[in-house]
Amino acid sequence: MLDKIMKTQLFAWVDKRTGAEAIIKSQLTEYPAPKNLNYMWNFGSLALLVLVLQIITGIFLVMYYKPSAEATLGGFTVAFDSVERIMRDVNFGWLIRYMHAVGASMFFVVVYLHIGRGMYYGSFKAPRELLWIVGVVILLIMQGAAFFGYLLPWGQMSFWGATVITNLFGAIPVVGELVSELLRGGFAVGDPTLNRFFSLHYLFPLLLVAIVGGHVHALHVVHSNNPEGIDLHKPEEMIPFHPYYTIKDAFGVAVFLLFYCYIVFFNPQMGGYFIEVDNYVPANNLQTPAHIAPVWYLTPWYTILRSFESKLLGVAAMGASLGILFLLPFLCKSAVRSARYRPMYQIMVIMFFVDVIILGYCGHTATTPVLKVVGQLATAYYFLFFVALPFLPKFEKTRPVPEGI
Amino acid sequence: MKMTNTLMAIAAAAVLGFSTPAMASGGGAKLEHANIDVTDQEQIRRGLTVFTDVCMGCHSAKYITFRGLMDYPEIGLTREAVDELRGDKSLMSGLVSDLTVEDAVVSYGKAPPDLSLIVPGRRGGADYIYSLMIGYTHDPEGRVPDGSFNAVYPGNRIAMPDPLSWLDHEADETAELKQQAEDVSAFLAFIGDPHQNTRRSIGVWVMGFLFLLTFVLWRLKKEVWKDVKKH
Repeated sequence: MLDKIMKTQLFAWVDKRTGAEAIIKSQLTEYPAPKNLNYMWNFGSLALLVLVLQIITGIFLVMYYKPSAEATLGGFTVAFDSVERIMRDVNFGWLIRYMHAVGASMFFVVVYLHIGRGMYYGSFKAPRELLWIVGVVILLIMQGAAFFGYLLPWGQMSFWGATVITNLFGAIPVVGELVSELLRGGFAVGDPTLNRFFSLHYLFPLLLVAIVGGHVHALHVVHSNNPEGIDLHKPEEMIPFHPYYTIKDAFGVAVFLLFYCYIVFFNPQMGGYFIEVDNYVPANNLQTPAHIAPVWYLTPWYTILRSFESKLLGVAAMGASLGILFLLPFLCKSAVRSARYRPMYQIMVIMFFVDVIILGYCGHTATTPVLKVVGQLATAYYFLFFVALPFLPKFEKTRPVPEGI
Repeated sequence: MKMTNTLMAIAAAAVLGFSTPAMASGGGAKLEHANIDVTDQEQIRRGLTVFTDVCMGCHSAKYITFRGLMDYPEIGLTREAVDELRGDKSLMSGLVSDLTVEDAVVSYGKAPPDLSLIVPGRRGGADYIYSLMIGYTHDPEGRVPDGSFNAVYPGNRIAMPDPLSWLDHEADETAELKQQAEDVSAFLAFIGDPHQNTRRSIGVWVMGFLFLLTFVLWRLKKEVWKDVKKH
C-alpha cells in the first residue's frame, strides 16, 4: 500500500518539497534491521504507543480536571471533585481516566522490560552509549512525570506521597530547605504545590516527546543491537524494517492491548497496585495514612532510600542508584555484548533483575525488621552489581561469539 | 444504660479471665465475605433503602445525586419515588445528610466520612463494609465500651454507633440484619464506581475484538516473515 501511495502525483508534489521519499526509504522501507531480533525488541515501539496514549488521554482529562485544593463539601477538594466528575458525569470519562491511570503503570512495565532487554543483550555498549544515556534521561523524566501526576487527584496517597518526596530534598545540605520550598511553593504541600505539579505534569510529557525523538534518531544512526550482540555486516543478515518489523510490532501492539484493555475494563485498580486504595480517600493534612508507599514503579528506589539510617545518606544513595545507570556503558568493559556469551554476567544480570523486584516488594510492604535487612542486602547487591562490572573481564571466560547470524 | 453495659463487659472479661487471646491491635479480625451483586437492581434498591433510612442520618454520598437514582439503570427509581425521597431538596443535589459537621463532632467526636467512595477507599472493599456492620461485639478485654468496639475496625475503637443494632440482637434477627448489611454493601459498592457494569460489558466486546485482531496480525506476521530464513 505504501508503494502505491508513493507513486501518486500528490506524493510526488510533497516529495519535491520535503524529500519524503528519501526519508521513508532510509528510515522505513530500506532501513536495515537484524533479522534475528526476538520479541524482547517489541517493547520500544510499545513504549512509544503508551506515550501517545498517555498524551491523548491526558489532553482530554485536562478539559475537565481542575487543579485546586480549595475545600468543598464533605472534606473533599475542587480537584478531587473534578476527578470524580470525570469518573461519573463525563461521557466515557471513566474510560479516559482509567486508560490514563493504568497507562501510567503500563508505561513503566514496558519501559522496565525495554531497559532489562538492553542490559541483558548489552545494547548499551559501544557504539550505543549515547542511545543508552538518552534512554536513562527518558526514565528519569518519566518518573518525574508520574510523580507529578500522582498528586493531581489530591487523594491521601497523593498528598502524603508528595509530602514525603518533597521532604527528601530538604536533606540536601545547605540548599535543601530552599529546594523543597521551591518545589512545594510553600512550607507544606498545598494548593500552590498542586498548581505547579499540574504545570510540570503537562511540561514533562512534551519534554519526553522531544527526547524520545532524540532516542529514536540516535538508534537510527547506530542501528539495533541483536540477541547475539555482534556487529552485522552481511546484507543477508538484515531485513528492511518495513514490512517485517512494522508487522511484528503491530502484532506486539495487539498482544499488549489484550493485557492493557483487560486491566482497564476489568481490574483498573489492579488490587491497589495501579490505583492505591488510600487515594480514594480525600487528602487530609491532619491524618497520616497507616502506611505510606509510593506506587509500585517507584518502590525499588524507595527501599534504597529507606535502607539507610541517615536521611542524607538515603537520599544520596537513591540519587546514586539512578545516576549510576548513566555510567553503565563505561563500567561494563567486556568486549562481548550479549549475556548469551558471558556466563558470569548472565548470572549477575538475572540476579540484578530479581534484586530490583525484591527491592520493589520491600518498598511496597509495611517495613518489618526482617524486610529491612532484606532491603539493605538488596540495596547492597544493586550497587555491587555496578561496582563489580569493571573487574568482570579479568575473571570471566566468555564463550565464543558466532561469526554471523 | 451505658454504665451497665460497661459493667457487664468488665464482668464478662473477668469471667473469661485473661485466657482470651488479645485481639490484634490493627483490628485485624478476618473479614466475612459479602455476597453481593452490583448488577442486581433488587439488592441495590434494598441497599439504597438501608442507606437513606440508616446511614444518611449521619453520612452523605455527595457524588450520587437524586437524579442519579433515576438515571442509573442499576437503581432506576421512578420520578415519583425520587420526589418522595428528596423532599424539598433539588433533583441535582447529592445524597447529603442533614447532620452538620459541627453537630457530628459534638455528638460523635469526628465528622462521618462521605460514603461515595467508601468501598474502593477501604482495604477489603465491600467485604470490609459488610464485616464492619456485623463486627460490633463486646470487647474481650473490657476496655472499650459496648457499641464502640468493632472487631474489624482498625484499632477496634469506632466512633460510629452500631448502625444496624447488631450487638446483642435476637437470634432470629441474624439473617435479616446480615441481609441488610449485605444490601447496603452492594449499594455502596455500586456507587463507588457507578459505570462499572457498563465498563465490564463493553470490556467483553473489546476483548473479543482484540483476540480476533491478535489472531489476524499473528497470521499476517507469519505470512510476511515466511521467506526470512532462520539462521
